Amino acid sequence: MAEIILDKVSKSFGSVRVINEVSLTIQSGEFVVFLGPSGSGKSTLLRMIAGLETIDDGRLLIGGKESQTLPPGQRNVAMVFQNYALYPHMTVRDNMAFGLRNIKMAAPEVERRVQDAARMLEMDALLDRRPSELSGGQRQRVAIGRAIVKEPAAFLFDEPLSNLDAALRVRTRVELAELHQRMNSTMIYVTHDQTEAMTMSDRIVILNDCRIEQIGTPMEVYTRPASRFVAGFIGSPSMNFLKGSYKDGAMTLLDGSRIAARVAVPEADTYELGIRPEAVKVCEGEGEGDTKGQVKVVEHLGERTLVHVHLSDGSAIVAQDGGRSPVQPGDEVALRFDISELHLFDASGKAWHAE
Amino acid sequence: MLRNTRRETLVALVLISPFLAIYGLTFVYPTVAMVNLSFTDAPLIGPGQWVGLDNYTRLAGERRFDTAFWNTAYFVALSVIPGTFVAMVIALGVSRLTGRMQALVLALFFLPYILPVSVVYRLWDWTLNFQFGIAMYVFDIWGIERVPIFKTTTWFMPAVAFVTIWWTCGFSILLFLAGLRAIPAEIYEAASLDNTGRWTMFRRITWPLLWPVTALVTTIQLILQLKIFDQVYLFSTGGRPNDNLVLVYYIFQRAFVNNQGGRAAAIAVVLFLIVVIVSVLNFQLMRLAERRK
Repeated sequence: MAEIILDKVSKSFGSVRVINEVSLTIQSGEFVVFLGPSGSGKSTLLRMIAGLETIDDGRLLIGGKESQTLPPGQRNVAMVFQNYALYPHMTVRDNMAFGLRNIKMAAPEVERRVQDAARMLEMDALLDRRPSELSGGQRQRVAIGRAIVKEPAAFLFDEPLSNLDAALRVRTRVELAELHQRMNSTMIYVTHDQTEAMTMSDRIVILNDCRIEQIGTPMEVYTRPASRFVAGFIGSPSMNFLKGSYKDGAMTLLDGSRIAARVAVPEADTYELGIRPEAVKVCEGEGEGDTKGQVKVVEHLGERTLVHVHLSDGSAIVAQDGGRSPVQPGDEVALRFDISELHLFDASGKAWHAE
Repeated sequence: MLRNTRRETLVALVLISPFLAIYGLTFVYPTVAMVNLSFTDAPLIGPGQWVGLDNYTRLAGERRFDTAFWNTAYFVALSVIPGTFVAMVIALGVSRLTGRMQALVLALFFLPYILPVSVVYRLWDWTLNFQFGIAMYVFDIWGIERVPIFKTTTWFMPAVAFVTIWWTCGFSILLFLAGLRAIPAEIYEAASLDNTGRWTMFRRITWPLLWPVTALVTTIQLILQLKIFDQVYLFSTGGRPNDNLVLVYYIFQRAFVNNQGGRAAAIAVVLFLIVVIVSVLNFQLMRLAERRK
């Protein structure tokens, strides 16, 4: 268990900047997820912490120790790779013991740790098998076991669930969260899957375009996204964005409807209004909504229904209705916005939230 | 879709029949004919009398066959394992390079492989010839006495083995490089996080994962080097061919110098069996070793 501090770290591949002066403090025992689209630099950042990529500039402290120039093996971190990277010619036991034997740990201690990890991950019966004789989920366990036996200062996960099928992914997600609670150790987890990020993390670090967009708890980044990028990236289905102009406490949308917005934006200007589908309701009666439009597609998801509506100016918006929604494609419907969940975004992408 | 299996078999047979015909004519028939020939006292051309196992029993006490057999074994020992080792070391070195530099260095190491044997002979004769070889002038400068390398029994086989390794290791290097590239980079990354030093990395990761390629390379080399002929023939011109005799050379002597087709065929059959047994044994042993590890 250890605190990890990144202090203005940078990294370039040739002339291309991939990480630009990123600073971040990860508390001891915290589960932090690096979330971002591909090419955002999240994996690179993780590999820089692991020591698999060099840090060009800045400092990295792991448990208070300057680590930016240490070789990977001496940073006291363990990593679980996307493709597991098990040693194919070694048994499960040897895979787990390999790193311990390399540091000349006494054989009884190695065996004890391997047994403990195997018991914790319920794979005692697999110890003498080779990776080729294991299923994807079992390989995943071995990779995690190989990390556990090292009793590292921090666990680093590089998209560890992306090679598992959907059902197994959900189960492993829960198991990883349990593992974190039991071991109470620092974990950094890279993913592009926002469900994984939302469900497992204490804090999410959202990366885009080589830098950090926002750091916050899952609910913070969901309810108060710092930028238009975060607002659009988090949440499924994603947030609705409608262009319009703000003046005197109200947004006028392109279709002419006025929506009251108690948002402390600095000046009257054109803004983008952001609102999540669950804050847009289909109204029962005529003429009582904030705006109206024609239903194009209705998606029944069981407990809720997503209604895709085109407003009169042609802009698309997704509203959420109850599970037994009577709305049909082609219907004219009125929509009401929950103005306490409005967000405004200026041209640079900066966000203001409803008070 | 329903398929007419009989019809499909027929089509398959028609399609492979050109290959089968050529294979039968140029490989199966000559092989059978050779085995038949080895039981007769036929000359190079024309039939002979059936002599049973005579040609084989005579081989047992024959001095020239003895020389040929042991020289071949000596040459294989000098070329196969060292050649494999050299190719692996060079491949490990080349794999550390990247981009054009790697392509260039690889091309330089591969270059000798495309040369015909006569050119190889000329090159090394110019280098190591007792009278006018470039190396001899270097010997003179250093004050070392000149050695008639291809005229001394002690030096002949090691020198031919050296030239053979120089000539053929390009292909083995390619195989090793392909093997090295097949090892995922992530495994090395995982190993580096596991505190693996350079030597342990080679001994516990690279070497075991390269083992199947090593088995393949040694087997290919074994088959190739057991059939050594051209280099020995060329380098021993004007020298002492009878001392430097190898099995294929001996077959050549019996058939084309002594006009004894039957006896030559017997040696060929023996060599054929040696190649089959040794290469199959080698490959199986190496696979067994892999499983035990």
